Amino acid sequence: MRGLSKGSLAALITVVVGVLCLLLEGALPWLTTYPKTWVLPASDAIGMGVEAGLVFVKPAARMFSALMAYPMAATNYVLAALPWPLLIAATVALGWRLGGVRMAAMAAFGLGLVLLSGYWPQGMNTLALVAVSVPLALIAGAAIGILANEFPRFRAPVQALLDVMQTVPTFAYLTPLLVLFGFGPVVGLIASAIYAAPPMARNVLLGLQRVEPEVKEAAVMSGGTRMQQLFQVEIPAAKVQIMVGVNQCLMAALSMVIIAAVIGGFEDIGWEVLLTMRKAQFGPAMLAGSVIVIFAILIDRMSGTLAQERRRLWDGRISLGIMALGLVGSLLFWRALADPGSYQALDPVADGLDSWLTDFTRSNADLLTSFKNSIMFYVLLPLRIGLDQAILPFTWGFQWTTGMSLWFFAAAGAGAVVLTLRGQLTGALVLLIMAGILETGVSQLPWPFVLVGVGALAWVAGGLRLAMLSVGLLSTILVSGLWERALLSLYLSGASVVACAILGGGIGLLSAASPLAWRVVRPICDMLQTIPLFVFLIPVLMVFQIGEFSAFLAIIAYAIVPMIRYTRQGLIATPEEMIEAATASGATGWQMMRDVRAPYAAPTILLGLNQTILYAFAMLVIAALIGTTGLGQSIYLALGQADVGLGISAGAAMAILALIADRIVQGFAEERKKALGL
Amino acid sequence: MSAVSSSDTPAISCQHVWQVFGNNADSALKEALSQHESPDDVSATLRAQGLVPAVQDANFEVKEGELFVIMGLSGSGKSTLIRCISHLLHATSGEIRIEGEDIVSASKARLIELRRKTLGMVFQHFGLFPHMTVLDNVAYPLRVQGVKRKARQAKARDVIELVGLQGREDHYPRELSGGQRQRVGIARSLVADCRVWFLDEPFSALDPLIRRQLQDEFLDIQAKLKTTIVFITHDINEALKLADRIAIMRDGKIVQIGTPADIVLNPVDDYVREFSKDVAKGRHAKVASVMQSPENHVYGADDPGLRRDMTLDAALARCMDLYEPVPVRDADGTLVGVINPADLAAALQVEPTE
Repeated sequence: MRGLSKGSLAALITVVVGVLCLLLEGALPWLTTYPKTWVLPASDAIGMGVEAGLVFVKPAARMFSALMAYPMAATNYVLAALPWPLLIAATVALGWRLGGVRMAAMAAFGLGLVLLSGYWPQGMNTLALVAVSVPLALIAGAAIGILANEFPRFRAPVQALLDVMQTVPTFAYLTPLLVLFGFGPVVGLIASAIYAAPPMARNVLLGLQRVEPEVKEAAVMSGGTRMQQLFQVEIPAAKVQIMVGVNQCLMAALSMVIIAAVIGGFEDIGWEVLLTMRKAQFGPAMLAGSVIVIFAILIDRMSGTLAQERRRLWDGRISLGIMALGLVGSLLFWRALADPGSYQALDPVADGLDSWLTDFTRSNADLLTSFKNSIMFYVLLPLRIGLDQAILPFTWGFQWTTGMSLWFFAAAGAGAVVLTLRGQLTGALVLLIMAGILETGVSQLPWPFVLVGVGALAWVAGGLRLAMLSVGLLSTILVSGLWERALLSLYLSGASVVACAILGGGIGLLSAASPLAWRVVRPICDMLQTIPLFVFLIPVLMVFQIGEFSAFLAIIAYAIVPMIRYTRQGLIATPEEMIEAATASGATGWQMMRDVRAPYAAPTILLGLNQTILYAFAMLVIAALIGTTGLGQSIYLALGQADVGLGISAGAAMAILALIADRIVQGFAEERKKALGL
Repeated sequence: MSAVSSSDTPAISCQHVWQVFGNNADSALKEALSQHESPDDVSATLRAQGLVPAVQDANFEVKEGELFVIMGLSGSGKSTLIRCISHLLHATSGEIRIEGEDIVSASKARLIELRRKTLGMVFQHFGLFPHMTVLDNVAYPLRVQGVKRKARQAKARDVIELVGLQGREDHYPRELSGGQRQRVGIARSLVADCRVWFLDEPFSALDPLIRRQLQDEFLDIQAKLKTTIVFITHDINEALKLADRIAIMRDGKIVQIGTPADIVLNPVDDYVREFSKDVAKGRHAKVASVMQSPENHVYGADDPGLRRDMTLDAALARCMDLYEPVPVRDADGTLVGVINPADLAAALQVEPTE
């Protein structure tokens, strides 16, 4: 074993375990399928335990829920009762104040569309939820951030908690909340407050920690008490970062309010989308989806101006003028004002879209089907169930035989030998592992192999502690009986992440190389990042119907953005001096990219990959709405049945997968950073 | 005030001050101090445990109205030491007295009181509040004391005028140049009429021309206010120009304390010598540092008119062709010393040339 690098050793162990599993498969069937009898009834136990615990909290929760109903009803009433010209005028006035003509025009145009779509009342209901949940999230988030800053002892646990909250899928909170607070919009409200508080807390803490030490010292030496230092100096000095938190908090709250619509019971815009989607009315679904997108863009861009380094406020008198205009208009035409829900000017557009889409899918059915099938048959299915089962006369036109398996392994072995001879032992072993996975299929991997493989990977990335943590956490999934579903989730998110890495990496590379490409890609990225998760489902569903492939596309659309951004960022951030040195050494453009820019960008790109993985997991759960198997589906089912045990354990399993992936990739990123001396 | 301060109480006094960074630094230092006599052994023990002794056994006193410069390279512990004295850091061990009052054991409330009334500090990177105008920045120390807006702004305007920034009261720090920013920092530290003034490399971040200008203005301000000053720098020329006395730090230890002439003429070791190597000694050392007492020394008939506060260069220029000892007189003509021109020339040659 002398001279074996850590990576080679880990890969070797994995290969050995894999080969053993393959050989013993026939003799010991429990290697592939974890026996049902070994499963501990964890979900049920958790369910019973939590429900028993909740009994004590329930009265308080129900009281809180009853209390929260008042501000909600009040905002709801106000938003519904205010004449729409006044509301539009107020938004336009705010837009002017924050961003001048451009922002004002955007507000007028956006809300005009909302009004014409006829979804005004539903939209206002959604906004009412956001308006009540955001202050809760802001206060809670700011308090957590400030406390963590004041008491360094809490900082590590708070950071860990925020990490976990980021990885726990959105749907997973809903089930326990449902049991706790009862059906109704209050659950959506609280869920969105819980979901939106962490970004605020994170940014407040980050902002306070980033205040220059000398600024803090100057406040101390000026003789300020701790409170004076905090509120007069540190918080104002951290304002820009805190405003970034406010912006993220608003967007998270909006996103979650819309997701929470699946609980129902509230006539909001998310419910409208869900309803029309279920009825396969894609025109109206698109229309309602656009209303969400409009809200998201308006809220994001307006609150985004608050987080600008040197923002200017535009003339307030014009804002007042716009408000006055709206007020006068509302009063003058009080009687003539129609019910905002009755506008249907955009219905023809929706219908047109609907029929155009129907025509489009019908006339291009062959093309779409073959596109879908070729990806399903040649990529997703083999990955899921392995070459031996995916290759059938029906899919590939021939039957995969044992002989072919042998040839396949022989080819992989030959490749491995070539690589070994060229000195790339780790590469050779990884090739063998890949071949094994492809032959077996991710969803049917023997569990000892997965445990050892992940453990080995974690060991290389972050040492023994991470390896033990990963294996321990994975084992809890195994014994709780969610293993098969977890592998299915792993397969779909893995496939999407790989697709994102290839596509997003390519687009990022292109954007780094060509400013023109970036000018096209950038607004698309901005747009994709603004759109709430839920809306991604509408277009893929329209074209490709319910199923895994639609989910695959939706996940890619959502999770590709960080990959693009970080790849480009990493590649263009190479220090000028290094580029000059490479140029002076006579490197060609391609050599520069391969030898200088790419290695320097590696840690940044890995961080992008990490974000992509987390995004993919987040979307995976939402995608359960349009038919995926795996943990997402379990969480969604649990929600429907108010099964707290299943909801929590499936949510935890999902969080565990995300957490392990996160730590391993971060471990590699850290190692690259250290290697580069950053 | 808890401690009695009289005219002979030093403004600042540091006795055996230690600042150690790392886990359980307190107990580790206590144990090491009980085991070893010499500070070097203590430091070695601490380092062996993975701790960082940033300030080791600092001892010195600063007289009222004195301009005391602490000089050293980066990482020598000078910034840490000034933070111990201003109690931005809690010294791990030792006694620090300001006007006789022990500030290491002072209560939080008392520290706030001290900072409001007695202490002022200027920072290397200015430490200006980015969200406040120049006027608000300067007035801030009064604001925390609850001084009414009108009164504090009036006071702030006076100080802003003192540092020559009038007309820029409503600018934000980001709109100012580096030199102007540091003027704001100086004004802010002076607004509450401090008696002990800490300056942590105040001019290091400025370009050389601005730096010299600010040094001169700083000396003017000091001549007017006569506060006690602890001034940190890594620039030997700055130290020699400004200081009444200089403490030179290396690796957390004070290696020499002395007047500028002492440092230049009698460096204690190679480290200090290395510092003053490139310094034109004749420009910094004064006649007083080489003259002998007038008793028992005869001097010749020539009187080139040497004064005790003349630089060696100036003195040498006056007795270029004299070989007999000459008298040194006070401003009013009293004889204060005798100097041999040969000694003058020799003093400039202390540096062994290799």
